[in-house]
Amino acid sequence: MNDVELAYRIRQALNEGAERLDYRVAMRLEKARRIALARQKSPADTPVWIPSLRLAPNSGPVLPDESSSTWTWLRRAGVLVPMLALAIGFVGISRWHEEQDIAERANLDLAVLLDDTPIDTYADQGFGEMMRVEQGM
Amino acid sequence: MATREELGDFLASTERRAFKQAVFALRDDDSALDVVQDAMLKLSEHYGDRPAAELPLLFTRILQNSIHDFFRRQKVRNTWVTLLSSLSGNRDGDEDPLETLEALHGTEAAESAADQAERAQVIRIIEEEIKQLPARQRQAFLLRYWEDMDVAETAATMGCSEGSVKTHCSRATHALARALQARGITL
Repeated sequence: MNDVELAYRIRQALNEGAERLDYRVAMRLEKARRIALARQKSPADTPVWIPSLRLAPNSGPVLPDESSSTWTWLRRAGVLVPMLALAIGFVGISRWHEEQDIAERANLDLAVLLDDTPIDTYADQGFGEMMRVEQGM
Repeated sequence: MATREELGDFLASTERRAFKQAVFALRDDDSALDVVQDAMLKLSEHYGDRPAAELPLLFTRILQNSIHDFFRRQKVRNTWVTLLSSLSGNRDGDEDPLETLEALHGTEAAESAADQAERAQVIRIIEEEIKQLPARQRQAFLLRYWEDMDVAETAATMGCSEGSVKTHCSRATHALARALQARGITL
């Protein structure tokens, strides 16, 4: 008997042995198979990259054709409008701070001009703070 | 991609052989079941969307890797067990080959027909002799002759050259022939 023939006969014996498995083992294998099948990966499980501000397929209302110029314009506007609003917000906050600063200095100057404060007082570090406190009262 | 039915049919057709291969390597039914279940889950969760034709090779590789992983974990565990048992003074050598043999004899279901009993005996002896083969020889023999892989696929799965596969298979076959002859088994 040559090697291949012997291997073939051993293979037959192994197949028979596999068919004669203990009932408990066969049951556990069947259970493992059912669990595995329940967790089968499907293409839907694969994460799909969706560009920002773009709706996922089949979600939300029906939208115009993506290739149309209206849709393209809306998509661009969806990015540009929030950025524009953010820029306007920054400018507004900056201007408001500036005006507050100017008003504060004007009040301070006015207080100094109307008062007969000694000239040395102007060099005092806490003078400005004192004026602020007085104005607050 | 493989449908649920195709995956189910494939697993049903291969699970018993996979279990036996794991038993030959691990020599423990429960550990083998864990390894096979782990391999099934990995195949289904990570490769369940692959074409049905790719499943056999993928599953074979996953199973072989799972068996290797088990041995790695066991090696780490054994290191700690040896360390702790040496501290507590327990007996050495917690694995007795005769116990495995007795357990196998004990689980055999009694069969009425004499020829069936004899055939079962032959199968058990063959399985015992396959367990006794060196790991690489056993792996090459089973992949090549039981899983029907060609030499190139077997080499890729085992991570060795095709020449090594041929050598392992040849040595395994000769070792089995000698062992079976010594035990009076003629196939």
